[in-house]
Amino acid sequence: MTETLSAPAVRGVPPARDVLLDVRDMRTHFRVLDGVVPAVDGISFSLRRGQTLGIVGESGSGKSVTALTIMRLLDIPPAEIVEGSEVWFDGREILSMPIDEMRRIRGKDMAMIFQEPLTSLNPVFTVGDQISEQVKLHLKVKPKEANERAIESLRTVGINSPERRVKQYPHELSGGMRQRVMIAMALSCEPKLLIADEPTTALDVTIQAQILELLKTVQQRTGSALMLITHDLGVVAEMVDNVIVMYAGQVVENGTVHEVLLEPRAPYTMGLLESIPSVEKRGGRLSAIQGVVPSPFNLPPACRFQPRCPYAWERCSQVIPNLYSIGTSGRASRCHLHTPEGASRLPGALEQHRLAMTVGRTLPTGEAR
Amino acid sequence: MTAGTTFRAPKVRSRLRTRPPERLRNAKGLLYGVIGIVGIVVVLLFAAFFLLSSEGALDILIRFLPGVGIAIVAFFAARSFRDRTLWSFVAATAIGVFLAGFGAALVFWVVSGRSGLDGNSGFFIVLGALLMAGIGLPIATNMAGSRKWFLAKQAGPAVVTADEILAETSEIVGLEEGMAAIAAEPAKGGTLISVRGLKKHFPILGGILRRRVGTVYAVDGVDFDVRAGEVFALVGESGCGKTTLGRTLLQLTPPTAGKVVFDGYELGDVEEDDMRPLRRRMQIIFQDPFGSLNPRMPVSDIIGEGLFAQGVTDRKERDKRVEDALEVVGLRRDYTRRFPHEFSGGQRQRIGVARALALNPDFIVCDEPVSALDVSIQSQVLNLLLDLKRDFNLTYLFISHNLSVVEYFSDRIGVMYLGKIVELGTVEDLYRDPRHPYTVALLSAIPEPDPRRRKKRLVLKGDVPSPAAPPSGCRFHTRCWLREQLGNPEICATTEPELRNLGGAEHRSACHFAEQINDATVERVAATQSVVETAAADPA
Repeated sequence: MTETLSAPAVRGVPPARDVLLDVRDMRTHFRVLDGVVPAVDGISFSLRRGQTLGIVGESGSGKSVTALTIMRLLDIPPAEIVEGSEVWFDGREILSMPIDEMRRIRGKDMAMIFQEPLTSLNPVFTVGDQISEQVKLHLKVKPKEANERAIESLRTVGINSPERRVKQYPHELSGGMRQRVMIAMALSCEPKLLIADEPTTALDVTIQAQILELLKTVQQRTGSALMLITHDLGVVAEMVDNVIVMYAGQVVENGTVHEVLLEPRAPYTMGLLESIPSVEKRGGRLSAIQGVVPSPFNLPPACRFQPRCPYAWERCSQVIPNLYSIGTSGRASRCHLHTPEGASRLPGALEQHRLAMTVGRTLPTGEAR
Repeated sequence: MTAGTTFRAPKVRSRLRTRPPERLRNAKGLLYGVIGIVGIVVVLLFAAFFLLSSEGALDILIRFLPGVGIAIVAFFAARSFRDRTLWSFVAATAIGVFLAGFGAALVFWVVSGRSGLDGNSGFFIVLGALLMAGIGLPIATNMAGSRKWFLAKQAGPAVVTADEILAETSEIVGLEEGMAAIAAEPAKGGTLISVRGLKKHFPILGGILRRRVGTVYAVDGVDFDVRAGEVFALVGESGCGKTTLGRTLLQLTPPTAGKVVFDGYELGDVEEDDMRPLRRRMQIIFQDPFGSLNPRMPVSDIIGEGLFAQGVTDRKERDKRVEDALEVVGLRRDYTRRFPHEFSGGQRQRIGVARALALNPDFIVCDEPVSALDVSIQSQVLNLLLDLKRDFNLTYLFISHNLSVVEYFSDRIGVMYLGKIVELGTVEDLYRDPRHPYTVALLSAIPEPDPRRRKKRLVLKGDVPSPAAPPSGCRFHTRCWLREQLGNPEICATTEPELRNLGGAEHRSACHFAEQINDATVERVAATQSVVETAAADPA
């Protein structure tokens, strides 16, 4: 029963051919004055070619650091990639790769879309310059052809009169347009992996819809794999095939999007879903997760979610939980409920979750407290 | 958080006056003018006296300055009288002039060694004071005797009926319907806030002379009512004017046009000083829990500042109320000496809520109170707001762009687009049966956390046009999918649609073709849309 998902094949052995990205026991720590922040603390997952993966978590859960570590965009120090971490991308281990070689991959085979398009675009270069820069670098084409490719990629993301747009600066574009430019830039070299870090968080809901539809379309057309980082479970439900849920630097649950969102098995995921306001819960209280995310300097000793968990018992503060696999392959939850010791408590917890998802309406408001 | 915490409003001893009629305002102005002139005359007489008395210029200055200083202090003391009347003003100014004279005399005596109160100087001081009292008192008496003034004071808050207000406002465009709506609903209990024809325009300044080169029509003619005890939500994208509307409604920025009636008071007509007791009843919770708390103030001051302004000047009393407020929002009582940086985002937002709540308001504008928070913290704050609403009988104006939160949280909703309300109705009306193409698109854009409900979205083309140059006719016509379906009818670009009733009295929509919207059309449009072209309708 203690079979964990985090056990990869053999260290140093490349994964199967159809696995594009294989992250194995990756740990990224930050050494700061006050101590060590384990921002990412032993996460493992793999992503097949052309598939979509969602990484969900609240701020501070380590999801952005995961992406930056994979892209090798973190400054070392203060960041520190702990010995034993492995990231296999397209058959090669990239964490130990010389930085020059990494530069040839980054932007070409793996590209990233950042959250805030205004701060990630350079204000003193035109949009065209910024897109054609990496085209020139990676595809070794002439400036003129690079410019044509830039225009072409702007057209594919739905920007009208791209010939004019390439000469404009980021401040001349609206938020949605800038995010389209970011996507165009990321797609300009037709990457195998596209990492989108909260691509729509800064955007309005109608523009978010535009961008999500666009991402879906281009991802299907180019066949690239998508790693979508977000805190919005709604976006995840729309976009991805598989989900991993992160909490305090660890994976607490993974599975397909249907499994994780419809039958969550980690108390944290349950809590997240319960706390989303919906019309079914109208008239009652939302069942909020108590407390706040623990300070990275002062993590709970065993289960990191234990102080906030409604189902926790003694074992949760004494034994460090593993990622226990459940039923089907690839499905796992980091919770003692899924060990023999917790099996008796599991049905009760699931029932409580089921009630919390629907019960709002039936609770009399006066006693909701 | 304990239920039923003893939490009381500060008793603000202050009567509300509506602005006196034109005649009295003129009289008041005249009085101030006379007092000013008298003051100047007195000062000049002093000057003449000293000049004639063959003293050096420096001596004169030395004698003058303390007196002038005291007069200024006395003037401001008079101004800050809590429940000030003209009487107290006159008295204080007279005292000020006397003090000025004595001050001058004192300095004169100290410097020259002989008494300044002999001879002409004393005479002039007395003369000046008498002159002022002689002119000021009859006017003040006249005002006190004025019937309306008297009644306003006697009756306490002057209740203005909706009819009275509307009778004055009929010249404001698009108001007839509002009048009908107000007339249909009694001003008591039912409606707490009525907004009629509210506009807020901001000038765009340009050129060397900073002249007005354009106008941002942030809020451009909005009518709605908020009923006591309900949650009225305003939804819309950024730039649609929802925040400006919230602030203008509270008179935090003066409206360009239109009326806001709060519990019978027409806020535009209430005098600046008399807004204070009303402001206690209308509070706001801001969006950004990091920007809205002063980093250099401890929590006791952040929350206590409002109490102080409302007359709770005793430190102990104030601290106790601050602690009560902290307890009510689920924070510990001993947090009062901490600074904002010591709190997490959710806790800061609770401090913001405590600040609004400390004054025991009736009405709170919640301006995106949860959009800066994580999901799990968001639900904590939403629960808190709902509890407080129930425990303290609050009414909320809930401003948000998150349609899931709004659906859960509110009773009635106004959808805003480019400074106008395009659709208004109960939650059921709007979410089950949207009657404006913009609302349909907004609802379609909500990402739902249920993979079974993955759907083809109805995606709007382009971005929101600039509020400085809103499109002609219906403001939504440049992005409207329904107009496209109907073959681009001319009326959308030429005639501005009214917010008209549809069937039930509650549900209103500003679309010429509201009746043409149905699920089949929406699905057909969504299915045939080309995603890549969605950015097409973007003005350069």
